[in-house]
Amino acid sequence: MSGPRLGFWVLFTLSGLWLQSFLPGVDFLAPGLVLSLQEERPRTTVVLGGLWLLLQEGTGSLAFGTVVLWYGVLAGLFFFGHWLFEAKNFLFMVILGLCLGLLHFGLMQVMAQLQDWRVAPGRVLMEGVLQAVVFPVQWGLIYIIHNSLPHNVQDL
Amino acid sequence: MVLFVYLGLFTWNIRTGYVDTVASNTGLELTRWVLTPGRWVWTRVSSFWERYVYFVGVRQEAETLRDELAKTQEELVTTREEAARAKRLADLLGILPPPEWSREAARVIAHRLGPNAALETFVIDKGSRSGVDVNTPVVAPEGVVGRVLRTSLSAATVLMITDPNSRIPVVSQKTRTQGILIGRGAGATLQLQYVSLSAGIEEGETLVTTGLAGIFPPGLPMGKVTQVTREGASIFLNIQAQPFFDPARLEEVALLKRVPPAPEAAVESLPDTSTKRPKGGGAEKKGESRKRRAKAGPDEPKIQEGQPEHKKLQREGQ
Repeated sequence: MSGPRLGFWVLFTLSGLWLQSFLPGVDFLAPGLVLSLQEERPRTTVVLGGLWLLLQEGTGSLAFGTVVLWYGVLAGLFFFGHWLFEAKNFLFMVILGLCLGLLHFGLMQVMAQLQDWRVAPGRVLMEGVLQAVVFPVQWGLIYIIHNSLPHNVQDL
Repeated sequence: MVLFVYLGLFTWNIRTGYVDTVASNTGLELTRWVLTPGRWVWTRVSSFWERYVYFVGVRQEAETLRDELAKTQEELVTTREEAARAKRLADLLGILPPPEWSREAARVIAHRLGPNAALETFVIDKGSRSGVDVNTPVVAPEGVVGRVLRTSLSAATVLMITDPNSRIPVVSQKTRTQGILIGRGAGATLQLQYVSLSAGIEEGETLVTTGLAGIFPPGLPMGKVTQVTREGASIFLNIQAQPFFDPARLEEVALLKRVPPAPEAAVESLPDTSTKRPKGGGAEKKGESRKRRAKAGPDEPKIQEGQPEHKKLQREGQ
């Protein structure tokens, strides 16, 4: 991985974690996973995905497994949607964001039930809405920044 | 096949908690080291911004007066911040830990984080390296805040009493009415459940922990009763309570940790009535403990299981 790209991912991870402390329940690292999948560098995606998985599982309050499904379904949706849409299309990202919003609501309910916990449905629904809005916007921003890196300028 | 592996891993982790420990010791730990410097930078930036705003306001004034005022303002901002922090820390020091418990201060570094943060929690900067363990009680100067849910080496996640999954046995201070205090989510009041219609509990009473669950020491303030009503055909009263602390304003908290018993104290506090004491001094057979409790009668306060015997006796004597 080149220096600027490494710097980009380090900064992205740090700022994503920092932003998550301001907007609880919203994943600010998920757009990075999609961007990494779009880069088509499987090794980078696996390393980043593994690191973010541990971060999200470690800071969460449910037992291990929720974020595995969360990122697993996101990657599955990306590959499925890849056949129907242009992978870097903003509309595709809006649809992915909507799916993530619904997934957040459903996954929280199911996983909390499995562990005999109770979660407030109203709050989780609101987090799902925020996730659906934040995802495409954040993806758009990091897509522009990522493609402005020295190695990627020709892709613009 | 993938689903089978996933479900196997999930079930195994629910039983053993091994993967959770790995995730806590990596993810939570790394996040703590990322957020702590970020918090410092944020304080500096906001302080700089306050000073900048101030400078804009006084630009029209005379140069010398402006310099003097700028200095004063800077000192005032710093002093106010330090005074507020000193007051919070003094309040924290004012928490007197119950006998056999010690107190340790911790800083709140973040509230709920990420998509997996389903419960009402916050993260503190003390972990297993400081002796913090799962279920360690967490208190503020106003009263109980919650208990530790998971730990890493130098950070821990705290489950607040406002979470719907928090259930703590409490007793009202004046009328000694017992019940289970349950959270109802952020911003909502707490609910006291399983209180019979004949109980004499009153509005304005303070609820304190009973210590029966073995997690919290008895007598810690939890909240104030705000509403007592009867509801339809229910055989229990509908009781609402307000927690004493404000989750949004929590900056520092105190952790209460059990002090390990001194072996000589154990020997001193136990009258040596048995001729068949097992080797090792302080240890006592379970049967003898049961007999003593039976002798004391049903009116004696219930003692928590798993506590050293000399502690039980000391509590009985209180």
